[in-house]
Amino acid sequence: MGMHSAPRPARTSAEARFRLIRSLKPAMSRTQIMITVLFVVLGFATMAAIRGNPASTLLANARQSDLVSLLDDLAQREARLQSEISRLETARETLLGGDQYQALNEAKRRATALGKLAGTEPVSGSGITIAISGNLTASTLLDAIQELRDAGATAIQISDSNLDVRVVANSWFGDSENGVTVSGTALEVPITITAVGDQSVLTPAMKIPGGLEDTVGSGGGTVTITPTDDATVSAVVPLPTS
Amino acid sequence: MIPAIGLLVGVLLGLILHPTVPLWLQPYLPIAVVAALDAVFGAFRSVLDGIFNDRIFVISFLSNVLVAALIVFLGDQLGVGSQMSTGVVVVLTMRIFANVAAIRRHLLKA
Repeated sequence: MGMHSAPRPARTSAEARFRLIRSLKPAMSRTQIMITVLFVVLGFATMAAIRGNPASTLLANARQSDLVSLLDDLAQREARLQSEISRLETARETLLGGDQYQALNEAKRRATALGKLAGTEPVSGSGITIAISGNLTASTLLDAIQELRDAGATAIQISDSNLDVRVVANSWFGDSENGVTVSGTALEVPITITAVGDQSVLTPAMKIPGGLEDTVGSGGGTVTITPTDDATVSAVVPLPTS
Repeated sequence: MIPAIGLLVGVLLGLILHPTVPLWLQPYLPIAVVAALDAVFGAFRSVLDGIFNDRIFVISFLSNVLVAALIVFLGDQLGVGSQMSTGVVVVLTMRIFANVAAIRRHLLKA
């Protein structure tokens, strides 16, 4: 093909197009055949390279550290799923194979546990009683209750000489003429707080510097903390209807 | 024209036969294909420049493929195979773009 075209760049786009078309004209020569063979190979190799490039090369190109962390993730996930499987299978077998009242008992047990938390069930067990006399404000009492909760008290009630009030999640405290108001019930000082929980944690929680004992003591009142193995929280709140 | 038909035949053959690339060839084949494409675009450019020579094309085609594969092979032996293939592909792609730009200027004067 080189015979007619001068060895110079095409001057116009028409000439360029003409050259391109002429280069596509069939012409038989040894090099043309060779070029054709090369193009066959090129097409074949391109398709082979495209086909031989599955998504798995994503992993093949990943670095070793990435692969290790990937494997770790998978192993952890498998362990998590395995433990969940065994947990669910155990639960299933208990429900299916066990005593026919076992499911009911389990549900009752959970209802009781939730009832203790919600304050609809009486609770007794080891704990402390705190007798407070003298000047007591609602904010001091609130601080004391928060401190008891932080120390892990499972049930708390506040009583005066004739009334008991259970302290639950939505209890509120206010000041009244000769004592405090707890969730709308006016209590007269002296009052007694009964808390069920770990004595060895609850007692120091009341005695920390700046805690209940300090505050009431500096106001001229007295605080008596008595650990007891038979702390009884007998007051309950009515079950919410909704 | 005949080479264009040859390319089509090759593509069809590849589609029909589902060739599996041997493992030892797998790193080199994509590089070789890109190198061959570079030679093809270079050939089109030289056609428009009026300096096309089919002998030179065949030689440049083969040498492009061989040198590209050789560089990647050398990189593999040196332990920088993937970086080397990236480098080769980048260079070849730049050349393809330059050739395509020259072809476009010739055909469209733009």
